[in-house]
Amino acid sequence: MANSNLPRRIIKETQRLLSEPAPGISASPSEENMRYFNVMILGPSQSPYEGGVFKLELFLPEEYPMAPPKVRFLTKIYHPNIDKLGRICLDILKDKWSPALQIRTVLLSIQALLSAPNPDDPLSENIAKHWKTNETEAVETAKEWTRLYASGE
Amino acid sequence: MDSDDDMHDANDVESVEDDDDDDEGFYSDEMGFDYYCSDDDADVDYVIEDDAEDFERIHSRRPENNYIVLKDSDIQQRQDDDITRVSTVLSISQDASGILLRHFNWSVSKVHEAWFADEERVRKMVGLLEELVVWFPNARELTCGICFESFPRGRIKSAACGHPFCSACWAGYISTSINDGPGCLLLRCPDPSCGAAVGQDMINSLASDEDKEKYSRYLHRSYIEDNKKTKWCPAPGCEYAVNFVGDNENYDVSCLCTYGFCWNCTEEAHRPVDCGTVAKWILKNSAESENMNWILANSKPCPKCKRPIEKNQGCMHMTCTPPCKFEFCWLCLGAWADHGERTGGFYACNRYEAAKQEGAYDEAERRREMAKNSLERYTHYYERWASNQTSRQKALADLHQMQTVHMEKLSETQSQPESQLKFITEAWQQIVECRRVLKWTYSYGYYLPEYEHAKRQFFEYLQGEAESGLERLHQCAEKELQQFLTADGPSKEFNDFRTKLAGLTRVTRNYFENLVRALENGLSDVDSQGTCSGTSSKSMAGTSKGKGGRGKGTSRTGGSSKNVDNVGAATPVVPILVRWLGSSSAHTQRERERERESSGNRKNNKRPSFQKLAELWIVGGVRVPKLSCVR
Ligand SMILES: [Zn+2]
Ligand SMILES: [Zn+2]
Ligand SMILES: [Zn+2]
Ligand SMILES: [Zn+2]
Ligand SMILES: [Zn+2]
Ligand SMILES: [Zn+2]
Repeated sequence: MANSNLPRRIIKETQRLLSEPAPGISASPSEENMRYFNVMILGPSQSPYEGGVFKLELFLPEEYPMAPPKVRFLTKIYHPNIDKLGRICLDILKDKWSPALQIRTVLLSIQALLSAPNPDDPLSENIAKHWKTNETEAVETAKEWTRLYASGE
Repeated sequence: MDSDDDMHDANDVESVEDDDDDDEGFYSDEMGFDYYCSDDDADVDYVIEDDAEDFERIHSRRPENNYIVLKDSDIQQRQDDDITRVSTVLSISQDASGILLRHFNWSVSKVHEAWFADEERVRKMVGLLEELVVWFPNARELTCGICFESFPRGRIKSAACGHPFCSACWAGYISTSINDGPGCLLLRCPDPSCGAAVGQDMINSLASDEDKEKYSRYLHRSYIEDNKKTKWCPAPGCEYAVNFVGDNENYDVSCLCTYGFCWNCTEEAHRPVDCGTVAKWILKNSAESENMNWILANSKPCPKCKRPIEKNQGCMHMTCTPPCKFEFCWLCLGAWADHGERTGGFYACNRYEAAKQEGAYDEAERRREMAKNSLERYTHYYERWASNQTSRQKALADLHQMQTVHMEKLSETQSQPESQLKFITEAWQQIVECRRVLKWTYSYGYYLPEYEHAKRQFFEYLQGEAESGLERLHQCAEKELQQFLTADGPSKEFNDFRTKLAGLTRVTRNYFENLVRALENGLSDVDSQGTCSGTSSKSMAGTSKGKGGRGKGTSRTGGSSKNVDNVGAATPVVPILVRWLGSSSAHTQRERERERESSGNRKNNKRPSFQKLAELWIVGGVRVPKLSCVR
């Protein structure tokens, strides 16, 4: 099946993700489809997502690595650059993609995005507005959502 | 089944905005017009010579050429020359020179300036590295940074930085970028931390033939589209570009394809009217109903028998189909026989003011009220603008027909070399140009403030002179020529016809030059010339009531031409005009020709319903003035 002629690059990336995982990040391919990854990112400390465990899915399209991987959050998250479908606004997932980037760099970037929300380039207008008008309250909501949806249950 | 498909579906639905930049759309977005014009790179080392002979002849009256039309090969030549120039001056490779020029929008002087101010900064900005970023002095094999395979050194390629990628990965990387659009012209090393530029040399050594071809097309287009001094000719299907080198306000350029456009706003050429007026006018027109435009521009009821008439000839003198045969003026629908002093000249029908004041019937009061109604005013000017537009299109077609079909035949029947028949194409070229100018003067007139009485009078006077000259010329070229086209052998009258048509061409040109000059001066002669205001404004006041000496040829010599001199336009009206005025009404109507052409001459076949028609003619309970001129 599809896994048999998996490019060497994907195999190598997968091996390395499993053998030397980045701190706070785990990514493992699905058994039926080696291009589909189950991802978990721990909420970074000093962020409203601290203590949360966030599930994501990552898919490597046929054109990968010429085209970027497709990634989205499965866990509900209150973040100005992530919408309610879990889609992420991140430049390297779009026009700034380079084939020299990897799954690991993408996931590290997403982790960094959790530490540094950017309400000036929002994907979710309402949340971004909330963030800009009353950051303390927005951060409280994000913490609340982390407790409610990302407690790792 | 595997979840591959599920994931595909999920992503197709959810990531719509990821995929919306297909290259065509992307590229055309970049073709937005640039109104800015820098004074950079004004050096002209280049002239078009071949196959521009006609072009030169038509435009030889231009004081200086502000622009150069570039053919495909010229564009290539200039691009190559610029690249070589920068490469020589900076002692860098052609490839690096191309990269620099692309970054500085093909401005040689800007490249030089920036480079000599701070070479290091420029190198960094555009990615022209002087040293390797990574190096592997002793490695026999290198790992490609994209596919992670190991390759013998010889099969690894790098930009100036040294980041190793295999040929196949380079080809994929380059191909993806090229298929993404013209952004590929600014391609960098795939390593995200590295800005090393990837120029045409690498593209050519690594990309497929198809991609190379696409890349060089982008490069070609970039030379025009990213350069502030060049633009593509906007005519559909035309592949010439125009390099504007002028620094004055005359933006009209004429492409080798014959399309004339304004370099500044890229609308159709509109000298002597300014870009702002044109933009306002076009916006206004587009706001009006399409149906209204169609009716006004294409169809009117015969004022006598009420059958709908479509205009299919260039001049305004209409004759209804038999048995009616009523002769009338397309603009005001008044009987042609009434055209003379009352409409401000035998051939002129431009006088909105006169129309307003002469509507002295029971409707007079309301009409005066209506004059303030912008719709009536607008209709007046729009109708005349649109009519001249249509006439111009027709004249263009006639000119073409003349050049491709009639000239040869005429040369045969009249036993004259074609070089002796140039006066005919010259007449048609003059007509086309004058229709264009006249058309735009109507949008000028629309925006000329009502309170500027003296200017309005002066303007309408000049416009009226020009218009009647043009109608006379157009009628002569269109109708009087017919008998020679259908003749079997040489006609005695042909030499007379030549004298007449050539004379009318010259006279009309003078009138239009006066008009253009006056409008470009903002009609300032009215204010500045104290001495003339006595005589000319008096006689103009007379004509504004339609009773002055603007009609028959006899009075024209004494009155009008003197006025032209008085108001500062130093062009004498040649005597030949007088000679021919008397006979110019003796033209023949060609019903057959009209029937033949009426089928192909319709721009828009969406004829509005009668219901719609009624609604349009009756706007807000007031009849839209079909008759805005004197009856
Ligand atoms: Zn490779
Ligand atoms: Zn590099
Ligand atoms: Zn053209
Ligand atoms: Zn313009
Ligand atoms: Zn009729
Ligand atoms: Zn009329």
